[in-house]
Amino acid sequence: MIDPELEELKKEITEGVQRCWKCRMCVAMCPTYEGWFSQSAAGRLMAVNLFLKHGLGDLEDLSNLLYSCTTCRRCQSRCKALSTDCSPADLILKARKYLVKTAISQKGERP
Amino acid sequence: MRGSSKNIIPAIHLQIRDNVLQKSSLSGVAESRSSWAQGLDLPRQAEYVFFAACGYQHMRFVEGMTGALRYAGKMGVSLGQVRGITKVLGKAGADLASMTSRMMASKEDPYSPVLVSCISVLRKLGVEVGYLQEDEPCCGSPLYYAGFEKEFSELAGRNNEIFKKNGLKKIIGLVPGCTSALRNLYPRYVRDYDIEVEHVLQVIDRRLKQVGLKPRIQEETRAVYHDPCQLSRHLEITEEPRRILNSIEGLQMLELDPERSGRWSTCCGGGGLEGSHPELAERIGQRRIEELLATGASVILTNCPACQMQLKKAARKANSKAEVADIIQFLDQALT
Repeated sequence: MIDPELEELKKEITEGVQRCWKCRMCVAMCPTYEGWFSQSAAGRLMAVNLFLKHGLGDLEDLSNLLYSCTTCRRCQSRCKALSTDCSPADLILKARKYLVKTAISQKGERP
Repeated sequence: MRGSSKNIIPAIHLQIRDNVLQKSSLSGVAESRSSWAQGLDLPRQAEYVFFAACGYQHMRFVEGMTGALRYAGKMGVSLGQVRGITKVLGKAGADLASMTSRMMASKEDPYSPVLVSCISVLRKLGVEVGYLQEDEPCCGSPLYYAGFEKEFSELAGRNNEIFKKNGLKKIIGLVPGCTSALRNLYPRYVRDYDIEVEHVLQVIDRRLKQVGLKPRIQEETRAVYHDPCQLSRHLEITEEPRRILNSIEGLQMLELDPERSGRWSTCCGGGGLEGSHPELAERIGQRRIEELLATGASVILTNCPACQMQLKKAARKANSKAEVADIIQFLDQALT
């Protein structure tokens, strides 16, 4: 069953990721970065994109990546200073919203 | 059983959502609401209304709970299972929240005195504020950051009704996360939201200049300021705390690498991570405390209950004698 709200949210996220320049300037900015690309805003966005567009990875791993963000917005400040309009931190929150909605639709009730 | 959904949303966020929606507080401990303000004689209505928020009032309970959950994790019990256990206990009439509150009641509380200091500083600067007492709701920002947008938006709407009923026009916030929610998120989610929100540091900065008081401390102290993320990047307040601290006589402010302070300050590891990814949160805290201690400061000042908790834990772990204190409490002692 297709949930129009969920589809709209998916579109918002994947379109948002398209605005990322892949410059990776946010990578070393991330306080969670310890050497893995997935521990950064750009890496998290790439993982969300691969999951939503190509079905790669699974929800549990994605949840672990998205909820390990501290929402400190250091990536977003760097991104804004480079005058991009990607807003990676806001996109990560949107992706969390997607996870919550998915959890609800999977169970047909509040998680 | 909650089936597959239980692994998608971390258990701590589900717990916090239940606490906020059912008990209207971060920790789920209900009994401590407004008790910090006893004897302060704060009126319910005033031009400026002080928003005390959960942060400082509940941080010691959160500290106790995350500690207990970490301990459970070490014994191989997952957060989800702990949550399941507390649900069973809840049916029997006991819950994790009230047990923690009893457990923590005897321990010292470094967080809620900040609220009293805040009122004291504002009074010394001639600002009288009101306080909604028991009617003050939880702002719900943890819901927003965990992805529960629908719940957040509904709660924001209900809270706006409470604000309207009490005739609120101007709010002075203290907890960075709540203040940023009330100032930046509420206008996006509540249709007729017209409340002016200021952070207390902005008010203090302005009044210090107008009143012309000269804060002074007895002993020469070298201190460094840690910018909370919600304050520096969500609310864009970085100049005010520095101006306030630089006005204190006897206090030598040390500055970090500009790439690691102010707008670019690194995170303390709080922000919900201490519950969902405790080991990572601890490592981030250690990295931050190393940066701060490298300045040679004996006092680390900040203005966020979560940062205070994280940095205090990290300083203890690093065997440092440096004190972690709140900027407002520090200022209160300097204003005599």
